[in-house]
Amino acid sequence: MIESPAGTGWYVYGVAEDDPALARLDGVELIRRGTLAAVAREVSLDEYGADVLPERLNDREWLERNARSHEAVLQAAAAVTTVVPLRFGTIYRGRGHVERMLEERNDEFRATLARVRGHVELGVKAWVDLAAVGQTLDPAEQPLEGGAGMAYLQQRSREQDRSREVTARCFELAEEAHGRLAGIAVAAVANRPQPRELTGRSESMVLNGAYLVPDGDEQLRSEVDRLAAEHAGLGVEYELTGPWPPHNFAGEWE
Amino acid sequence: MSSRELAQRQGSGPAQLADVLERVLDKGIVIAGDIQINLLDIELLTVRLRLLVASADKAREMGIDWWENDPFLSSGSNGKSKSLDSRLRALEEKAGLPTDDKDDKDDE
Repeated sequence: MIESPAGTGWYVYGVAEDDPALARLDGVELIRRGTLAAVAREVSLDEYGADVLPERLNDREWLERNARSHEAVLQAAAAVTTVVPLRFGTIYRGRGHVERMLEERNDEFRATLARVRGHVELGVKAWVDLAAVGQTLDPAEQPLEGGAGMAYLQQRSREQDRSREVTARCFELAEEAHGRLAGIAVAAVANRPQPRELTGRSESMVLNGAYLVPDGDEQLRSEVDRLAAEHAGLGVEYELTGPWPPHNFAGEWE
Repeated sequence: MSSRELAQRQGSGPAQLADVLERVLDKGIVIAGDIQINLLDIELLTVRLRLLVASADKAREMGIDWWENDPFLSSGSNGKSKSLDSRLRALEEKAGLPTDDKDDKDDE
């Protein structure tokens, strides 16, 4: 086979403590330096070169396939040892460059690995049906007074008040839930709720949290069950995802 | 429904794409590799991603804020502004308004 003109690069998915168990992973190579191992794969620059990437990234099918593949590699690695995820598309021109990166960032990686070792990330989302939340609020309906025009204005004003109350109530619920879950977790992040364009659901997401918890620990799960039971009558639904590799807890070094 | 049941319900299927994209595109350690990958190049999902990812904030810090001045979020091709211009011109002509003639953009 003729080598592609663009050549190849090394795509790095994550960094782990060099562990013999990593050898079990399929389809990836380990690039080692000191006590660290980069979980990497040789990729064609026809696929990942700087000149083709902008186009590739805007190919929805390509993006989904490769984002899922990135996650799948990390999941497989996380199943055998602690791994620190790197952002999608971290690519080097040669193995030597990856080795140098590991060496330069040795202390940071080791500190992060120590922090997340034995832990997993769980995602918790809360969804609300805004109409249902509205119905749980004080239903005191006073008879409308005055003529049709006045009644219309009163009606509009009430609707606006109601909408503000619903929003405030949703914030309260999300804050309460996140506070309780964060109290159980080792670390917690409240991410921006995903917009409907992305979720495709009619309900609104009011909480999009990520929680770092000890692997196998059921406390956070139980708390989500409790929240779900307590808030069921308010039209709130909870969704737990994961375990994930610690994507949300890999970034801060401070 | 308990979270356990929920987890089971979705446990068999793949993770939701939104959750995966959020994590792999916006989280994880950021290291500048040899190949510069600019996730802000993702126009396809611009509207969705810009609402989702903190990268939008980071981009703003870096001074990249094109979407804020562009009501169409630059989600289309570069040709879009040109077609908007010509549509605007057609409307102006129809309405009998003076048109702002600029021929320079046709040279590109």
